Amino acid sequence: MSTIKASYDVLVIGSGPAGQKAAVQAAKAGQVVAIVERDSLFGGACVHRGTIPSKTLRENALRVKYMRQNAALADFELSEATEMVTLIDRLGDVLKSHDRYMRKQIDRNAIDRIHGRASFVDNNTIKITQVDGKTVDINVKKVIIAAGSYPRKPDNIAIDHEHIFDSDSILSMLYLPSSLTVLGGGVIASEYASIFQALGVKVTMIDRYPTPLGFLDSDMTDTFVNAFKAMGGTWMGNQHVEKVYWDGVSEVVTECADGIVVRSQKLLCAAGRLANVDGLHLENAGLALNEKGLISVDENLCTEVDNIYAAGDVIGPPSLASASMEQGRRAACNALGIEIGSMSQLIPAGIYSIPELSSVGLTEKQAGEQYGDIIVGTAKFAEVARGQISGNTEGMLKIVADPQGKKILGVMLAGEGSTEVVHIGQMAMLCDADVDIFVESTFNFPTLAEAYRIAALEILAKRPQ
Amino acid sequence: MNSAENTALSLEDSLKQLINRGEIEVPMLPEVANRALLLAQNPESDATEMADLIQSDQSLAGHVMRIANSVAYTPLSNLVSLQQGVARLGMTIISEIALAAAIGAKMFNTLGYEDYVSGIWQHALATSLWSKEVARHCRSNVEVAFLAGLLHSIGRPAVLQTILDLANNKNISLTSEQVHQLENSYWHQVSQAVVNKWQMPALVVDAVCAYTDYNSALTAGAQATHIVVGSRFATQMLTPEKLDKETLFALPVLAKLNLYQDDVEKIFEQTEIVKARLAGLSS
Repeated sequence: MSTIKASYDVLVIGSGPAGQKAAVQAAKAGQVVAIVERDSLFGGACVHRGTIPSKTLRENALRVKYMRQNAALADFELSEATEMVTLIDRLGDVLKSHDRYMRKQIDRNAIDRIHGRASFVDNNTIKITQVDGKTVDINVKKVIIAAGSYPRKPDNIAIDHEHIFDSDSILSMLYLPSSLTVLGGGVIASEYASIFQALGVKVTMIDRYPTPLGFLDSDMTDTFVNAFKAMGGTWMGNQHVEKVYWDGVSEVVTECADGIVVRSQKLLCAAGRLANVDGLHLENAGLALNEKGLISVDENLCTEVDNIYAAGDVIGPPSLASASMEQGRRAACNALGIEIGSMSQLIPAGIYSIPELSSVGLTEKQAGEQYGDIIVGTAKFAEVARGQISGNTEGMLKIVADPQGKKILGVMLAGEGSTEVVHIGQMAMLCDADVDIFVESTFNFPTLAEAYRIAALEILAKRPQ
Repeated sequence: MNSAENTALSLEDSLKQLINRGEIEVPMLPEVANRALLLAQNPESDATEMADLIQSDQSLAGHVMRIANSVAYTPLSNLVSLQQGVARLGMTIISEIALAAAIGAKMFNTLGYEDYVSGIWQHALATSLWSKEVARHCRSNVEVAFLAGLLHSIGRPAVLQTILDLANNKNISLTSEQVHQLENSYWHQVSQAVVNKWQMPALVVDAVCAYTDYNSALTAGAQATHIVVGSRFATQMLTPEKLDKETLFALPVLAKLNLYQDDVEKIFEQTEIVKARLAGLSS
């Protein structure tokens, strides 16, 4: 950790994706910068509790799934006593190399790293409370709040991190459970539900909405639900959970309003995330949270106090690490008066469930509402040679075009490789290319990119004459 | 060097040889404790199987019923059957009780040091309970914390027994100071041998191994730190004259777990609950 200076040009609160990029950008602009992190580890929840750990588990889940799929090559079952630690065996190495890379970057840019909790004394003074209880007041010209988020804990669910977990603690289970109830239908719930199901855990997903991932088109969510069910999972939509408790013997009991009772060995409550603003004393800086419990910002990511900016999960959706990084960079540029272009609204969403889902631009439903009789082209991965070769046949790609069948309005994919392949569509949209580009361009064969050509050909065939 | 020092050195050489050759006498994990652990980990097992197992050991059955009926666990009811007790307390807690009861100080033959070993065991039990609370607060693994906390110092009575056996066989008289000096030098090596021999889960083994060097542990560093902190809370609770609250709150190891003063206070607030559970487990 660095020696704390009496004043800084820019102080960044939080070291997650948004905070890091904000600090690096400000430092590159020649400012004296510090980054405050209350955790002893650098990188925020994304690195240590969320994105990276769950993706590490996912890699092993995919291996298990493939081995089961290829019974002729390996007759494979996980042992009942499989310890979680063996399933995230590479996590330590991944985190260490990530941490090393981040620290190098922070140090190379002469950014001070401060371990402590930040709280506003006023809009130009931040109090740092260190872990040993010592406090230091720092004078700051600009502040960028990038404090991230933490799992929401519903009042009727007693999360004990022993039987009933949240998304921050689920990977601390000692053994892979035989059964798991997942409450929620959002991104985190869908990712963990499908990952554990792929590992052979009997998973039941329960949510109040009729389908999981409701912000996607129904054909995409159907693909996810069908794949989840095919692995043995159970989806229970339109359910209101009244009570969750550990029965004191060996199971967690979930009671739904319509009388359905679900029992499982462990339960994951994935009921959304809340902005990490407790203890910041925003009111001392003249800031208040909005009705959603988030920090409101304008198009420049500036809060209602002109020297305070915010980025990442504390300002709300899309709450993606990718978007947070760019928000952090832009917040720093705006705070320092550095000219930048407008932020592209074309942010791809990647859902690392099994199978993967990804989208960019408008969904079919949104496009229909905005453009009327849109034209849609689809390609099943089963029709693509690469999908057949790799057994990746449960996926699909969809291109949504305007009523003339020219302008690309959105691209959606389901299936392994989606989060990479979506970028082809994104680049075409950023270049304002017509749908024709996918027909006129040559892609490697055999690849999943071939699906773009198939979907585009369908649109061309449907174009008004 | 006088002859007393020479004999102590020769005994230490014999002790080292036993440890290095893996020939130190490690007690067997009592069958009932082993089976209780396996049942608690087996998702297919049920309360009846656990009740049957406990019933097979009369003194353990009585012990479990006493604890199940203690205020710490069932403040408002009176349990009459073992199965009811298992159902009320849960498989995990029952397996913890069985483990604590079966492993205790009685496993070791340490003539002249019975009270001392009893104190070590009491501290290990308290450490296991506090480690759970620390792990829970850190959103980390509660099950690992209990087992690693319980077994982190199992090498102390084990090595003590070996020292006393060696001294007896060689007809050597050791001072209490010499005994404790040897115990302090080798207990951790023996703790590692015990948890390995008992085939504890990998994280538990790693946590016990990293206990004395949690700062540079390559694996299970966080889990080891949970038990280090749990052990300090246990010391404060059992012997406040050795570690007062103020000193506990100022321990540098707390920062390793990123425990701010209000976090430490929240954990400390569990003192009465831990005391009640400890009283139950040690009754």
